Amino acid sequence: MVGVRRADWAMAVGGEGHGEPGVICNLSIDGKAEGVVVSVPLLPEPLLTDQQAALEGMVRAVEVARQALGGLDAVGLGSLLAVVAGRGAALAERVDIPVTTGAAATTWAAVENAVAVLDVLGERRAAVLGFAGTVGQGVAAALSARGYDVVVGGSGKAMERQAKKLGVSLDSPEGAAGSARVVIGASTTGGILAPEALAPGTVLLDIALPPTLTPGKRPDGVTVLAGEAVALPEGWQKGFWGTIYHWLSYGHSQAYACLMEPIVLSMVGRETPYAQGRRLKPGALEDFGRDAATLGLRPRLARGWSEVRPQVLLTG
Amino acid sequence: MSALPQHVDTAIYEKVVYCFAEALGLDEDEVTYDSLVIDDLGAESLDLLDIAFRLERTFDIKIPRGGVEQAAQQALDDGDPYEVDGILTERGRNSLADAMPEIPREEFREGLKSVEVALLFRVATFYRLVVELMAAKANAS
Repeated sequence: MVGVRRADWAMAVGGEGHGEPGVICNLSIDGKAEGVVVSVPLLPEPLLTDQQAALEGMVRAVEVARQALGGLDAVGLGSLLAVVAGRGAALAERVDIPVTTGAAATTWAAVENAVAVLDVLGERRAAVLGFAGTVGQGVAAALSARGYDVVVGGSGKAMERQAKKLGVSLDSPEGAAGSARVVIGASTTGGILAPEALAPGTVLLDIALPPTLTPGKRPDGVTVLAGEAVALPEGWQKGFWGTIYHWLSYGHSQAYACLMEPIVLSMVGRETPYAQGRRLKPGALEDFGRDAATLGLRPRLARGWSEVRPQVLLTG
Repeated sequence: MSALPQHVDTAIYEKVVYCFAEALGLDEDEVTYDSLVIDDLGAESLDLLDIAFRLERTFDIKIPRGGVEQAAQQALDDGDPYEVDGILTERGRNSLADAMPEIPREEFREGLKSVEVALLFRVATFYRLVVELMAAKANAS
C-alpha cells in the first residue's frame, strides 16, 4: 500500500509481507510530496481467501503510514491489495482519506504506450487480452474511442454484450492475439497465452503480473514491452531503501503507473479517487491523464528496466 | 426482474443481488436469479472472491472457500473417488448435483472437469448458500 502526503504532503502504497504492517521505504518529490510504501502482512493466498483479514491489515497499514508521515492525504493500493476487499471500497469506508486502486493510472499508461506503438508502426488494429478485467476493459474502451480497430479476447454472453456496447470485436484470446500486430496483455492472472499464438513481429505490451505469456519459445521478431511504466517525475527522491525497492520492482528510472495514482491524487488536492471498485467511472482516465500531465508525468515504453523509444520498433 | 421461485426470501435475495451488482459493476436489473455468474455476468475468478467477501459482510456469515465441492466430496463416504485426473467421476457429478439443486442436473455432464464447476454457478447458488449458512448460524446460537 502507498500513503501520500502533500507538500507538507504524504502518500501511502502497498505490497504484501509478513507480520505487522511496516514501512518498506520512503519516497518523495522534492519539496512537494512525501510518501511511504507500506507492506501488509499477508501472503497472496490468505490475502485472497480471508479478505476481512486483508482489510484489517490495510486499515492498520494506513495508520502506520499516517504515523510515519505525520498525516496522510491519500492511499493507493498496489498489487493484490487493489483487487481484494471490494477493490478499495471496504477500506474507503474505514478511513477518512481517498483510497484509489491505481487502475486509472495503469489504464492511462497502457493506452498512451499502446497508441505510441500503434502510431509508430502505422497500425490501426490492436488486440486487448483480459477484457473481463477493469484495466482490460478500460484500455479497449479508450482505444476504440480514439478510432482504433480493437479486438478483445474473451468469451461468454457478458463479454459479448460489453464488446458490442464498446464497438469492439470479440474473439478467443488466441484468435485476438494472432490477428493484431499490437497486443495489450491486461489479464488479472497472467499466463493466459502460449507464445506461439502471437504472429511474428508482434509487439506485446504486457501489464499482467505474472506475465501474459506462458513459458515457451516466442516466434521471430516478437517484442515484449512493459505496458504500464512511467518515467519518474523530476525531483524524485528514493533514499537507500527506496533504491532497493526500485531495484526489486521496475528499475531505478521508472515506476509502475499505479504507484503514481495516489501521488497525483494528493498533489492536485483531489478528494475523490480516480479508481475504486470494479469499473472505471466515465471520465476517470481523462481526469487522471490531465492531472498527471500538469505534474509532468509521462508514460514510458520499457523493456525490463530500460526505456525503449517507439522508433526502435521499426528497426527491430 | 424475472419471476422468482416461491421459496425465495425477497429481502435476502435483493441483498444478494446488490452484492453481485456492486462487485461486478453492474446495474441490479442485469442480475437475475438464474444468471450464470461467469458467462452471463462476466465475473472473473477474483470476482468470485469479492462476491463472497461482500456476502460475508452483508449477512455476517463465513463462506468456506471450496465449500460446495468439499461437501460433495465428503458425501462420498464410501471411498469412491470424487475425481480422477481432474475429471469428475459419475458419483462426483451426482454428489455435486445433489449439493447444488438450483443447477439443472444435465449440466453435470460426463467429462466435466472440477475446474469447470464454477462455470455452472448461478446467482441462485450463492443465494442458497447464504440462506443455508444463515440457518446454520441461527441453529448454532
